[in-house]
Amino acid sequence: MANAARIFPSSEVLTLARERALEPILKTENLWKVYRSGKVEVPALRGVDMEVYPGEFVSIMGPSGCGKSTMLHVIGGLAQATRGRVLLDGNDLTTMTDSARTLLRRHKVGFVFQKFNLLPTLDAYHNIALAQHIHGNGFDPHRFEVVASLLGLTGRLTHKPSELSGGEQQRVALARAIVSEPKIVLADEPTGNLDTKSSEAVLNLLRQLNQDLGQTIVMITHNPDAAAYGHRVLHMRDGQVVDGSTVH
Amino acid sequence: MIRYMILQNVLHRPLRTFITALAVAVEVTMVIMVVGLTTGLLQDYAKRTEGIGADVMVQPPSSSLFMNFGGAPMPISIADRLQHLDYVQAVSPVLISLNSVAALENIFGIDPESFRAVSGGFVFYSGHDLQEPNDILVDDIYAQGKNVKVGQTLHILAHDFHVAGIVEHGKSARLFVLLSTLQEMTGAHDKASIFLIKCDRSNHAAAVAEEAKHLLPGYEVRQPKDLMALMTSSNVPYLGTFINVMISIAVIVGFLVTFLSMYTTVIERTREIGVLKSLGASKSYIVRIILSETTLLCLVGTAAGIGLSLALRALIHDLHPSLPIQITYGWSVRACLIAIAGGLLGSCYPAWIASRKDPVEALAYE
Repeated sequence: MANAARIFPSSEVLTLARERALEPILKTENLWKVYRSGKVEVPALRGVDMEVYPGEFVSIMGPSGCGKSTMLHVIGGLAQATRGRVLLDGNDLTTMTDSARTLLRRHKVGFVFQKFNLLPTLDAYHNIALAQHIHGNGFDPHRFEVVASLLGLTGRLTHKPSELSGGEQQRVALARAIVSEPKIVLADEPTGNLDTKSSEAVLNLLRQLNQDLGQTIVMITHNPDAAAYGHRVLHMRDGQVVDGSTVH
Repeated sequence: MIRYMILQNVLHRPLRTFITALAVAVEVTMVIMVVGLTTGLLQDYAKRTEGIGADVMVQPPSSSLFMNFGGAPMPISIADRLQHLDYVQAVSPVLISLNSVAALENIFGIDPESFRAVSGGFVFYSGHDLQEPNDILVDDIYAQGKNVKVGQTLHILAHDFHVAGIVEHGKSARLFVLLSTLQEMTGAHDKASIFLIKCDRSNHAAAVAEEAKHLLPGYEVRQPKDLMALMTSSNVPYLGTFINVMISIAVIVGFLVTFLSMYTTVIERTREIGVLKSLGASKSYIVRIILSETTLLCLVGTAAGIGLSLALRALIHDLHPSLPIQITYGWSVRACLIAIAGGLLGSCYPAWIASRKDPVEALAYE
């Protein structure tokens, strides 16, 4: 059933959120995404309901093709939902125009991708600064320094992506995602292209960002060990969230 | 930030950047050279005609501005009638023939005495005036270009001429033979193509021209000083059309190359466009990047085009000294603007495509 799996936040965060009367930063209601392949309709999401509260670190797991990435794209405003609602910081993405969703991404969402997706022509410094430039509030050197220092990039800023290791590239991508202080970071398999050691480093950084800066994070992963870094793990199958568990 | 990003993009693909800028440079060079050559030839022709020193020219009815494209030659006896007009100091009949072998050159058949009276005479660099029937005078530019020396034999119009002297350029034609010789060669006995009139004072030229018009109704009576103003592409049949066609071809070439280059860039950078979109870059931001990159390529191309034009002019001047090329500031600016406009037009569609890319598909692009 589409609405069978209504997943609640972890007990600690939920308790905290209730105490502070917090609204979820992200909420989906009966979220559907259907792709068309010729005359055939292929549903990628089949009525997803979920909530993510400010300060949460939520992992989403599931087999390939279960709709994890599609959900990340829809809740991040990269793709339009077919039905249902996505409320991000109180804004309903499903009723927004493409331009409005672009604006929302700019100010409220930070993406981290499996393939890092850094601009190959720019060095690490400009890859990170680019996000601030697009954000439009001008370059904030203090924030930049805090982020670069937190992610251990201070000595690597003049290097281009081709001169950085995979772990370093992903740290630059992380810095780019958080330098404009988004409401939520959406990470799509951030350790998928990394070796164990680099993966661990990136996951620790995500956890640190969450704990030290209170950054809300939703992370997609195949890896149960990686998923365990979150407060909660949501399991997806066939376009639905079928289970949610709290990580202790 | 955008400027830095564009610079890095341009430097990232040096060959593509070089080819695109080169195409724009060729476009600019083509426009400047086509206009420069036509304008240069026209202005040079006008200057040389004015340089004869005549105050009034009389040509047969319906004659062209170009003396060698005149109608049937006129009876030489007209010279006597013109000589009797008020204020006329000297009249010199000239028969003009066109040498079309190897180059298009006017050959003036002149009567040395009357031509000297009208023009003030030649300035000789070497040799002497026309004396024998087979003598020929060449100007210094012709001599330099063809490496002609005094005493040499020139085979022109199926006739062997003896180079009697080399004279300073600026007396309209570059080759001068005796009037009687040219009349004999062309079968135009007692005929002339044009009458050059020298007035006793140059400010009487208008009055003499009026008198000549009354004396010879229907004949073309012009004052050489007006030629400079008349020698524009709009006054020469089809020249304006020719220039416009050449400019259009140049613009189309520039447009297509820029289009292809930027379209390839957009395809190549599909994933990067997806990244920019995921960061919240608007459509106008992406369009701005593409158009700014095109503008940079066009600016580099136009600067190279102007440099190329100047170098080409110097080269042509060395190889063909008699071929004048006039590169003007106005047309250089116009050529650059045309190239930039063509380039921007060519990148509009790629920019539009880039701005409309679906971010999810773009991010999945391999």
